[in-house]
Amino acid sequence: MTTFLIRRFVQMFFVTVVAAFLSFILLYLAPGGPIDELRGAQRQNDGMSRVDQTDVQRVRERFELDFYLPFRFSRWLIGWPSGPIFGAIGADWQVGCSIPGQVRLVYPDGRVEIIEEGCEVPLTLASIEDRRVSNGVFFGDFGLSQTILRDRPVMTLIMSRLPYTLSLMGTSILLSILIAVPIGIYSAVRQYSRFDYTMTTIAFIGSSLPSFVFGIFAILIFSILAQRAGLPYLPSGNASGARDWVMPYFGRIEAGSLVDRGLRFIMPVGVLTFINIAGWSRFIRASMLEVLQQDYVRTARAKGVKERMVIIKHALRNALIPFITLLAGVLAALFGGALITEAVFNWPGLGRLFIDALGRHDYNVVMALLFVNVVLLMIGILIADILYTIVDPRIRLS
Amino acid sequence: MGLLSRRAAAFALLALILPILAACGGTPPAAEPVVRETVVVVQTAEPIVVTATPDPDQVVEPTTEGEPADEADEPAAAAPSGAFSTPHPILSDVRVRHAIAYCSNRPELIESVYPFLSDEQKEELLMDTFLPQGHWALATENITTYPFDLERGQELLEEAGWTGEPVRSNEDGDVLALNFTTTNAQFRQTWGAVFIQQMAACGIQVIPTYAPGSWWFGSTTGLARREFELGAFAWVGQTDPAGRTLYACNQIPLPENNWEGQNYMGWCNERASIAITAANNTLDRDERIRQYAIVQEEFTRDMVSLPLFNRLEAYAASNNLVNFRADPTEYYTANAFEWELSDGGDTVVIGLTQEPATLWTLIESAAVQRVVSFLLGVPATTSYTYDFQPFGLTQLSTIENGAAVNEEVEVSEGDTVWNTDGEAVELAPGVEVVTADGETVVYESGTLTMMQLSVTDTWVEGLTWEDGEPVKQADFELAYKIDCDPDSGAVTLAVCRSMADVEFHDDVSYTVTFYPGVQWPTYFSGLLTFYPSHLVLSDGRNLADVPASEWSSLPEVVESPLSSGPYTIESWDKGQRMTLRANPNYFQGEPAVSTIIVQFVADTNQAVAQLLTGEIDVLGSETLGAGTEVEMVIEAGEAGTIQAFVVPSSTWEHVDMNLYRR
Repeated sequence: MTTFLIRRFVQMFFVTVVAAFLSFILLYLAPGGPIDELRGAQRQNDGMSRVDQTDVQRVRERFELDFYLPFRFSRWLIGWPSGPIFGAIGADWQVGCSIPGQVRLVYPDGRVEIIEEGCEVPLTLASIEDRRVSNGVFFGDFGLSQTILRDRPVMTLIMSRLPYTLSLMGTSILLSILIAVPIGIYSAVRQYSRFDYTMTTIAFIGSSLPSFVFGIFAILIFSILAQRAGLPYLPSGNASGARDWVMPYFGRIEAGSLVDRGLRFIMPVGVLTFINIAGWSRFIRASMLEVLQQDYVRTARAKGVKERMVIIKHALRNALIPFITLLAGVLAALFGGALITEAVFNWPGLGRLFIDALGRHDYNVVMALLFVNVVLLMIGILIADILYTIVDPRIRLS
Repeated sequence: MGLLSRRAAAFALLALILPILAACGGTPPAAEPVVRETVVVVQTAEPIVVTATPDPDQVVEPTTEGEPADEADEPAAAAPSGAFSTPHPILSDVRVRHAIAYCSNRPELIESVYPFLSDEQKEELLMDTFLPQGHWALATENITTYPFDLERGQELLEEAGWTGEPVRSNEDGDVLALNFTTTNAQFRQTWGAVFIQQMAACGIQVIPTYAPGSWWFGSTTGLARREFELGAFAWVGQTDPAGRTLYACNQIPLPENNWEGQNYMGWCNERASIAITAANNTLDRDERIRQYAIVQEEFTRDMVSLPLFNRLEAYAASNNLVNFRADPTEYYTANAFEWELSDGGDTVVIGLTQEPATLWTLIESAAVQRVVSFLLGVPATTSYTYDFQPFGLTQLSTIENGAAVNEEVEVSEGDTVWNTDGEAVELAPGVEVVTADGETVVYESGTLTMMQLSVTDTWVEGLTWEDGEPVKQADFELAYKIDCDPDSGAVTLAVCRSMADVEFHDDVSYTVTFYPGVQWPTYFSGLLTFYPSHLVLSDGRNLADVPASEWSSLPEVVESPLSSGPYTIESWDKGQRMTLRANPNYFQGEPAVSTIIVQFVADTNQAVAQLLTGEIDVLGSETLGAGTEVEMVIEAGEAGTIQAFVVPSSTWEHVDMNLYRR
């Protein structure tokens, strides 16, 4: 077990670094970015807000775009390079380019073209000595937010959203398991019954429609139409109200009170739970059906074991083994949040933050969320592997 | 097997990494040998603007409205050399361009994207030049207009030698087909489809490419590289069209000038070019109007860019909100101090789709930031209806009212002047400057006469911080020191770099003297602001002693700044909302609405839902956008559920026609 764990931790370390590096590269290679935005704004601002080379250079510095990608990555990962080594070594080592060079290409047919090539002013270790740098994510420092909460720690931003995501995802996952497992078992045991058909139909609807459709329908039905009909209604979004509101038959609800927060919790949790149940119940059903046809189940029945015991003790334990694989991603999902659902219900969680950060080129925030997700996914898979040995005696980690 | 799979994995990894590394750097080898020369001057900012003064005696031949003059003539264009010197076989013919304009039924295009508008409202969105209706510089005479006229369009095409149907062709058998490139935004695809049909009715085949915005507006792709024949996108109109040098001859992006400039059409009309540069080199508004009129006249006559329509901007407010003002060129919170609630309520909730990154206006220019900052500060001026009005200033600091002086000064070698690149440099041989006569000259020796602008801003008496401390001279001095420090994080320092001297007179006024050659068109709209120099930070330091590099991370600056505006920050729950309370020390008096809550709502649908359920009171155009939600809001307005405001936006759609091929 110890050897297994050590081996897995080493693997996890390398997988995490490679995943982080690839995410980092793809993020920076994606079209657009702050410089494009600046140039876009510049298109019409050649008056008092005009931007010149030094302004562009400052923005490049702020986003660390003047560092070569590997150094940019290493600064993010371990906070190095931050200046000459031991204060003196490698002061003139080039780690980036402050001002790109330009080359005029004169073609044989007389055409002339100016392209960026080479480096006019190199960025050396000595020149970055005064630059602000994080300690690196390996030391728990995700740096500063670049655009969303400018110049304030990414961790502050994440911690402000984490409780909302954990509560939303935790509740919906827990409810999903509590509801989906019994439904799946009952559907399998009563295969082709009316209940099974009904659940199958609902599951197909839940699996085939995207979450934002359910979200919008839920808002329309339980919020807007219910309110217009003078019925008790659910607030359409937010984690807590901005001001007190009145619900028919229930009276005034105080903004930020437990009732207010609870009522706002219902729709997003309901939608997420419904979608999870749709997928998971089918999974359990299929797994149970397979197990119920196994010889050992038949043997148990032949031995006269009560049907309930056959299902719970003999069938269910084995049927849950594949389900553990599915749950490996739960840990990451708990942190990652529900991207679409959070946006639709204006839930101030990490999923919404991720979308926002992507759209506004806050590279540090995006990378922090991706990195933590990768780590949690790794841990989730490890836990799943360990759980296998507990639920399935045939599996030995050694 | 194990070894094989490892090799396969290694190959797969290489296959993944190599293209990424290739994309990271390196230029593909040229097909032919090329000569490489290092460019000495790195110019990524605005290209050199050649300034010239048009001959005042120049006779302008008027063009009858609706009747383009001598359509067979080519535009008065200087033939370009180098890349993009091959005239486009179709679009270089002005008759074809006019035909495209006549064949465009712009009301129908508007109908396709805004079917819910009345005819009157649609009429308000129509544009004939590059300036919107109601703009102070909009020309009304000698403008060629192109009302929808299918017959006229077809006639022009016949004249140009394009005959036959359904798709016209010339006698060489070339088909009248044009590529039409724009973004894949649903909005553009919708009107683009109608535009294609309209062209087809005239016998012009239009082949659409709906490209991702990242490609179309990328810095090295699409529009920036002039990779289009007909290209559609939008410009944002401004109160002062200061940046409209984009139609000048020297603004044509070419490989030879490292693709600098935004004259994507390659349009070089000497008369227009001279006029537009002249309009940007004078501070006399009447003269500017005259010069812009010339540009608009040529612009519409040559028809190189077809203005289509202003986009629609919608605002929504709850029925009980009084004095809400929707305007295309000013933020709706600019008059929040005048808001009232007719039902006696005390709270207004504003919905914003994005959270401000900071409350420090210097380092953030997003619309959402401005919406909030108007609640916390006193702007020098407002800019309603495409013009300026004094607000924090006692008056606009114009030359006409004596608050500014623009006088001739003599400069000689060694003096600091403002060159044509927009930089403060020492005058030396080879430096290019604009003289007092408006001529662009390269300095050689001796003295030159240049214009020097001095502006005295006078702020209103009684400006007070929320803690009751009056605004004083030290506050203006602090703002000048911080705003002009490159470490502050400000995106642009253009104005700071152009200031030769700032003299602070008292608690409300100061004089800024610019370097000779600086002629900012909006010089009168307030040049400095003020920061609370008396503020003591939580760590015991005085704000005035904190270096500029730290300001962007100070909570007292970026999260809970001391307010001088109508409201003060009470709390900011990240990702959720800001709560602001009425400022009793506001110089206009305490606002009637005691609380404003700014609620962050990421999704527009959700924002509208909250508006309709009464959770939100105000949604601005930055939140409503231009999607289907606008229609929903207008319908709700018509039903009386809310107040809906529809105004022509300052953003306008147009089709550029690329006159040359590479």
